[in-house]
Amino acid sequence: MYQYDAVDQEFVADRAREFREQVARRLSGELSEDQFKMLRLMNGLYLQLHAYMLRIAIPYGSLNARQMRRLAHIGRVYDRGYGHFTTRQNLQFHWIKLRDAPDILDQLAEVDMHAIQTSGNCIRNVTSDPYAGATAEELDDPRVWSEAIRQWSSLHPEFSFLPRKFKIAITAAPKDRTAAKVHDIGLMIRRGRDGQLGFEVIVGGGLGRTPYVGPTITEFLPANRLFSYLEAILRVYNRHGRRDNIYKARIKILVAALGAEEFARQVAEEWAKIGPEGDLPDTELARIRGAFATTVFDPLPAVSATFEAAKASDPTLARFARNNLRPHKKPGYTIVEVSLKTIGDTPGDATSDQMDVIADLAERYGQDDIRVTHEQNLVLPHVRLDDVPEVFAQLQAAGLASANVNLISDIIACPGLDYCALANARAIPVAQQIAQTFADPDRAEAIGELKIKISGCINACGHHHVGHIGILGVDKKGEEFYQLTLGGSGAEDASVGKMLGPALPYDKVAGAIDTLVEVYLRERREGERFLDTYRRTGVEPFKEAVYADAH
Amino acid sequence: MKALTANRLIDGDVVFWKSGQWVEGFGDADLFDDPEAAEAAEGQAKSQPTVVIDPYLIDLMESDGLWAPLSYRERIRALGPTNHPTHGKQAVGGVVIEALLHADGAARSSGRVNLIKRK
Repeated sequence: MYQYDAVDQEFVADRAREFREQVARRLSGELSEDQFKMLRLMNGLYLQLHAYMLRIAIPYGSLNARQMRRLAHIGRVYDRGYGHFTTRQNLQFHWIKLRDAPDILDQLAEVDMHAIQTSGNCIRNVTSDPYAGATAEELDDPRVWSEAIRQWSSLHPEFSFLPRKFKIAITAAPKDRTAAKVHDIGLMIRRGRDGQLGFEVIVGGGLGRTPYVGPTITEFLPANRLFSYLEAILRVYNRHGRRDNIYKARIKILVAALGAEEFARQVAEEWAKIGPEGDLPDTELARIRGAFATTVFDPLPAVSATFEAAKASDPTLARFARNNLRPHKKPGYTIVEVSLKTIGDTPGDATSDQMDVIADLAERYGQDDIRVTHEQNLVLPHVRLDDVPEVFAQLQAAGLASANVNLISDIIACPGLDYCALANARAIPVAQQIAQTFADPDRAEAIGELKIKISGCINACGHHHVGHIGILGVDKKGEEFYQLTLGGSGAEDASVGKMLGPALPYDKVAGAIDTLVEVYLRERREGERFLDTYRRTGVEPFKEAVYADAH
Repeated sequence: MKALTANRLIDGDVVFWKSGQWVEGFGDADLFDDPEAAEAAEGQAKSQPTVVIDPYLIDLMESDGLWAPLSYRERIRALGPTNHPTHGKQAVGGVVIEALLHADGAARSSGRVNLIKRK
């Protein structure tokens, strides 16, 4: 992974020192809350229902064992022994005290971490493929570009006060694991006809109050022209994005208002003015690329006799292998997905002890590499097949061996009304109830890939619009109700889900999901996922069944 | 009936007004049946910007013969998250916590809505 140099380290440590002074000035009354709020948000510190919440940046969801252990330590000492991995590949602690925040930032700085730009109207953490550097599908390593964007966008003077927050995703594989089409900018690495590397540039996707699948404004941007083009997009947005209405301030609204063609024309005009001077020198890109080139793989046979024998004798390992392992680019290795969706637990939560286990496994069996997925799971991207039985055993002992990745109980849920000051309804207990409804692993596997995503308010941190089944918590005269949407997807076949019908009360949601699944099992044809069946049949059979049951 | 609540500056904890001071348990809070007294307390609370953030009044309802916050959001603030029954103020247990857990009235947190409107 990228290694901080002395300049990076000094910068992050200095920022932590600065925040310590700001906290002292707030506590003494020298700064009012209005003055301080912006400063604390620039360091990822929010005030939520029960305490402060600290959102820590995990750049493109990539961290090492030392960093994971430090997160575990912070959780143990300053929180309640756990942390919450988010849909933006970050980590949130929900029980932070203001008086401890400067010490926490110091501790993060010691391991090259921080919470800068995890809030505010700036360019946020770049989302990237959690399988980067491990999957054979990719055309290039998207982490290199993510890191270059991270460095370019950190404290960028022109783009620190945009009309609204700004999120970029990069994927280099045909299978999109980043939800690129619903980001402010989605970059999909493509190979041109002449073999040149470039990007398909998608702008103006987004979720929240007004969901859009972003249009492509450039089919193929030569890779070496990326930064001047990003600058042009951001400059057009900064100039024309609405600042009068927070609900219309995201770039998606501007792109929709102008139309993709006109927006692209304005970007092209701006891009011509900037010219190649705005691009990253090849030498700098090579320097960053060098930081990711340290992974060394041993020559191994493609099939591991040890692993095959263990699978044959242990059906739980066989199930884990079916659902949580993914092909690696090198023979004899595999990508291991670690589900943070144990039935009955809070989606995305990991205890400090579990974080330590993951760190140990990464160090011992996984080239010191850990990833966070936007679906709130963890990944050990480089594990030898020979080592899988041992890794599985240790995950089992730590309560981390749920074999449900991409299945119906692998649910995304935001913190919801249990923690969040913005939420209208709870998301976590709804996810828990649904997971318990589908706790039978045979049934879950028979249902197949089904992505349920739950948000506790219209801000859509739980990505409900792009759930195969989306669930949105709403407040009806103070009571929790839930709107169901069907047919969304955040993957390469992105789409925004359509509302099923009137919102359901809290205690009817899990039953309604069960009904939807029964309709799918009845209607599906060979090889169809839930999403495919829905797209073929339309909403009617699902709607009929859910609301027939409701009456 | 109303109570006055805020988050404490130094640690973000949910606190309630009691005779010019802040206490952590809803069961210890002052309850106001006189709107003028409630507003006077809110005014006093706002003059403590180095102690609390955003004080506001919340509506109460009867539950188990005791008083509980009317809005579900305020009950969660007074109790803790429902996914971790041992986290937050609910962990201490007792009759007041039980009354809050049994309350089933549901309404928006009017004091908080006013607070948002003022921003």
